[in-house]
Amino acid sequence: MRLAQWLLRAYPRAFRDAVGDDFIDTSLDRLRERRDRGWPALAIWIVALADTLRHAPAERARAWLEWNAARHERSRHRALKSGERTIMDKLLQDVRYALRLWRRRPAFACIAILTLALGVGANTAMFSIVNAVLLRPLPYANADRLVSVWSRTTQYPRGLLSYTEYAEVRKQTGTLDTLGLYLAQSVNLTGVSEPQRLVGIFATGSFFDALGLKAERGRLYTEAESAPGSVAPVVVITHQLWRQRFNEDPSAIGQALTLNGNTLTIVGVLQPPFDPAEVPGAGYFIDGDLFLPAALWPAPRGLVRAGPVMLGIGRVKTGVTQAAAGADLDLVGRRLLAADPKTQQGRSLILESAHDTVVGASTPALLLLFASVGVVLLIACVNVSHLLLARAMDRQKEIALRAALGASRGAVTRQLAVEAALVAATSAVSGFLLGRWALSGLAFLRPPSVPIPAQVPLDWTVFLFTGAVAIGVAVLCGLAPALKTSRPDLSRVLQAGARRASGSGRRTRDVLIVAEIAMSVALVAVSALLIQSLLAVQNAPIGFDASNVFTLQFRLPQTKYTTPEDIARFFKAAIEHVRAVPGVQSAALVRAVPFSGNGGTTGYAVEGRPAPDTASLPQARLHFVTPDYFKTLRIPLMKGRDFTDRDDLTTPLVGVINETFARRAWPDEDAIGRRFRSPDAPAPITVIGVVGDTKHYTATEPAVPQLYVAHYQVPLIFSSLVARTAVPPMTITNDVRKAIWAVDKDQPVWSIYSLETAVSRTQGQSRFLALLLGIFAGVALLLAGVGIYGMTSYGVAQRTHEIGIRLALGASSERVLREVVGHGVRLTLVAVAIGLAAAVAMGRLAGAVLFQVTPGDPRALAAAALILGIVSLLASYLPARRAAHVDPVIALNEE
Amino acid sequence: MPLRPVEFHILVALAAEERHGYAIIQEAARLTGGELRLEPGTLYRALHRMLKDGWVVESGRRPAADLDDERRRYYRLTPLGRRIASAEAERLSRLVAAARAGRLLTRA
Repeated sequence: MRLAQWLLRAYPRAFRDAVGDDFIDTSLDRLRERRDRGWPALAIWIVALADTLRHAPAERARAWLEWNAARHERSRHRALKSGERTIMDKLLQDVRYALRLWRRRPAFACIAILTLALGVGANTAMFSIVNAVLLRPLPYANADRLVSVWSRTTQYPRGLLSYTEYAEVRKQTGTLDTLGLYLAQSVNLTGVSEPQRLVGIFATGSFFDALGLKAERGRLYTEAESAPGSVAPVVVITHQLWRQRFNEDPSAIGQALTLNGNTLTIVGVLQPPFDPAEVPGAGYFIDGDLFLPAALWPAPRGLVRAGPVMLGIGRVKTGVTQAAAGADLDLVGRRLLAADPKTQQGRSLILESAHDTVVGASTPALLLLFASVGVVLLIACVNVSHLLLARAMDRQKEIALRAALGASRGAVTRQLAVEAALVAATSAVSGFLLGRWALSGLAFLRPPSVPIPAQVPLDWTVFLFTGAVAIGVAVLCGLAPALKTSRPDLSRVLQAGARRASGSGRRTRDVLIVAEIAMSVALVAVSALLIQSLLAVQNAPIGFDASNVFTLQFRLPQTKYTTPEDIARFFKAAIEHVRAVPGVQSAALVRAVPFSGNGGTTGYAVEGRPAPDTASLPQARLHFVTPDYFKTLRIPLMKGRDFTDRDDLTTPLVGVINETFARRAWPDEDAIGRRFRSPDAPAPITVIGVVGDTKHYTATEPAVPQLYVAHYQVPLIFSSLVARTAVPPMTITNDVRKAIWAVDKDQPVWSIYSLETAVSRTQGQSRFLALLLGIFAGVALLLAGVGIYGMTSYGVAQRTHEIGIRLALGASSERVLREVVGHGVRLTLVAVAIGLAAAVAMGRLAGAVLFQVTPGDPRALAAAALILGIVSLLASYLPARRAAHVDPVIALNEE
Repeated sequence: MPLRPVEFHILVALAAEERHGYAIIQEAARLTGGELRLEPGTLYRALHRMLKDGWVVESGRRPAADLDDERRRYYRLTPLGRRIASAEAERLSRLVAAARAGRLLTRA
């Protein structure tokens, strides 16, 4: 369906308005028919694409011609009335002349325009994306003054803030206008027919202030209403929730919602400061369904005693630099440390620009893409300039003739300039359209983790950039030969031998060839590196079997399950019910499903060894699991035993560790039976088993110690279910939901997905990047191959005359061949060397994105050098061979 | 003014009854013994042109029983379109008669 819509966009608007939707319907019928007849998907794609490529440009051309013909009529009317030849007429005549020449040699025009259009189009699309993501300011008021405030410890360079830190900064700072505290968390909505989970953002009133947010209806809550001690039972909903749940009914204000067991009154609707479709990541800070007062944060002892749990967003005062604000913040942090050394041990406060927070991670990847596209454009320009050069030399005779017949030098130059401008204009326009079309295609392909907005707008900046590029190219490529050849010496040109390659002409061509080969080698090599990296990511072992595993999450409302025994009882009952569902082979609970993005860590200190202070304990990833978890995910149990139902609140604390933990803590002994302490555990933990290493966030992370503790010994309200199924996981969704509702009918469950989906989602960004780079590399390879072959063979063909002379004078054809090809080989070697050096440099930039592949990996470089080297050598050899075997007499006469 | 072959085939397909886009493609294939397989791009460019020139009009939307429940656009010939199709058919049959007279066609 989306394919058909995308193809339709290639047609002009009149067409789309008239028959567009029927076009889509019929295309879908076709697609269905072909699929039923067993056509492979790729074939269907290609046929549809070919059909579009054949008709869409023609249709656009027709629409333009019709419009143009009407305009022409009007202008001709006017010209007849005025009765004199204006400069416009002369230019039009030049244009018509150029078009006539093109019609006679359509191949030249097509290749030149298509080449440039490809380069310009790719650049336009890429620049739009980079513009939308990197260069645009955040869509909030005073975005340049927005900063994120973090805490910093040796463990976490960017950590959360505590309420105390927040309050102190607000009291003591002289450089921040305001500071807000916020964090998103899921909240349970009950008291409605089907309990639901919504994304809530717990925020202080100052949060709205910092981002300059306003209420569309009603009001936003104040700082006092969100502070502990004076918290009011209020909630602010977002515009989209207002639309979905209340149909934008103004009477929603004043209604009550039961969230996490608290009854809160809706006091206002937030006005979105931007159009969500145009901004990546829904504006990053307000990506949720509703806003709750920060003090309602679900912590057992309240927000103030909960420690660092939230993020900080603030605004710097006008005229204050970020460095000054950072220094001020650091001072506040140090005062806090002095006042309360126990809680604040090892903590300091830092800030960074909010823009960097949002965009930072993707900068290297985007810049790399931008660089590749620039290279493609350069290759395209080199190709086109060669084409124009070649044509200019072909036309020297014609130009000389015109000069002899009385055309002024100005007129000749003007005609050449018009032709170059025509190439530029046509390429710019087609490149622009191609870019738009490619952009909508890109939007379908992008994975969710790459911050490209749903509709990348093409604004004036992009258009100007594209236009400037195209004009620059045209001027460079078209005008240079124009200036050179508009001053011919008539007699010299009309003589035979005029086509002999002049010294400087040959040097220019050689430089162009070297440049083109070098750039192509660099681009292809880097792409190969990235594709290698992608393959490594795909094959990286994750330590468990993600196939056929069903997962879901839930959070028990604190008001209903107050004691650990209640919680443990619910879990046991829920697991039993789920195990009884037909199709489920085994089931278990775990606090953070691998690859869900959730997870926690804790410090550990081995018993019997001197303990370092709390802030610098070695960290282990912490998981809470029930028995059968390892069996469900097929994590191998290397030593010892799994948890059983008997490990509960009445028995001593036990833990299962992974191999990395065992190796680090007890390198020379058996870990089973050993004990260690953790600051979060009330008693020492005994090791009862050792399991294999697994990955938790991405497939490419390094191995870290991991600790599994018995869920029944630490009952927590937030957990996830994992179940291995004998059938495709998503088919049992309803049965599992019913099994849980059989235990507690009000318990909402969410994040229902198959584990395999989650694992492959994390690879989305690398795959996307590799795909894009693969496309660019392919285009570059094609353009470069064609260009190199054309240029080199043309150069050799130019020397046919010279070859003929030498053959006639008695040189052996092998020797002539060797010399000509030798020249080609020398050029190729130089070019490949330069290209490889550039590839290594570019590879360093890509280093941030590479996995298990070093920037200087020889295989990728060798592949690129080999392919293009061979093309170049063939291009030297084949025409030279042809020339060497030609009858010298013919070669001598060759012009 | 000879018609483009694509246009003629579409007009012929609509001559007997009004059809929706996909049915036109199928009918055209049937009439030419499977030789003419119209792609959506070809079909709709021609339809767009014929709609503008007034040879064909849309005649409402209703579900196609043989496909699915989606409502589809049906097209039918206008009197002008019908006249043009007949004129072209006449011209072609005159050509066929001439070919037959010149012994170029061996089948009846």
